[in-house]
Amino acid sequence: MHEGEHRFIRELTIEIGAHEQNKTIVKDYQLHIYELLKEEEVPPEQIYEYLVQHLGTPREIAKAWKQEIETTPKKTQWLFVVANIVIFLGGTFFTISYHVFHWTWLERLWIFITDATFLLLFIYMLFWGLLGYEIGKEFGHRGYRLLKKTFLISIIPNILFAYLLVFKILPYTWFDSISKSSFFIACMIVTFILYPVSYVGYRWGRKVSI
Amino acid sequence: MFNRELVKGSTSLLVLQLLNERDMYGYELVKEIGRRSNQLLQMKEGSLYPGLHKLEKQEYIEHYWQEQSKGPARKYYRITPEGKKILAERTSEWHRYVRLMNHLIGSSE
Repeated sequence: MHEGEHRFIRELTIEIGAHEQNKTIVKDYQLHIYELLKEEEVPPEQIYEYLVQHLGTPREIAKAWKQEIETTPKKTQWLFVVANIVIFLGGTFFTISYHVFHWTWLERLWIFITDATFLLLFIYMLFWGLLGYEIGKEFGHRGYRLLKKTFLISIIPNILFAYLLVFKILPYTWFDSISKSSFFIACMIVTFILYPVSYVGYRWGRKVSI
Repeated sequence: MFNRELVKGSTSLLVLQLLNERDMYGYELVKEIGRRSNQLLQMKEGSLYPGLHKLEKQEYIEHYWQEQSKGPARKYYRITPEGKKILAERTSEWHRYVRLMNHLIGSSE
């Protein structure tokens, strides 16, 4: 290996950083460089510049890889699972605060939110649509399995909350606005259509995946 | 030369199209894109591999190794059935878009 080639690979290895795919990535470039130099007679002292001209600088290459290696199925899955748990915990904390603290600003906010429950349901459905879209866009065909898995894990807080509410394990009067029959039925319907909503999002995302 | 973003956005489609014709290795893909476009469509070769990795992650392509009589083994890429499906969808969409744009702003021919 010439010094220029060696320097390029060394810098690329450093720029990619400590990553489980580091060796695989660098090997792709080593093979590419082998083909490139086999085809062209390049003076040894110009090899580094020649490689930069064709491939880009090691830093530019590492930058191009950054998003690709950072977005993993596991990270995406847990991002949405945690986001859904945060929504539920946020709602629970908000309800408890309203019933315990009686702050004026909180009461105003409570009235505003409980009056706009259907709007909240719509926004919540958008969240599930976004889940499908992001998975479809990033993981394409493979994303379908990930969508099913993420959906099954993410839906657990929803089912748990419905169970606690139906069997009156939660303080029933605290969740009065939710347990109003019309809204509760709407919640149930929305829960059943969350998967189709995510699936539509996934199909849409898959369409723009390439 | 063309707008960089335009080239970037269509590289995956081009790669799938080439692999739909035959299996190729990374360097061969770059050369083929350059050759077919009379070197008008040139990209930084280093940016090809994150794109190939993404297509592989999405299960639109897969790779296999082929030993060479001289030199290191080559990493060949081939299109999957799902890759063929998405290629057909996107190609049809692309043709419809080009027809529409030609209709709206006028064809250059």
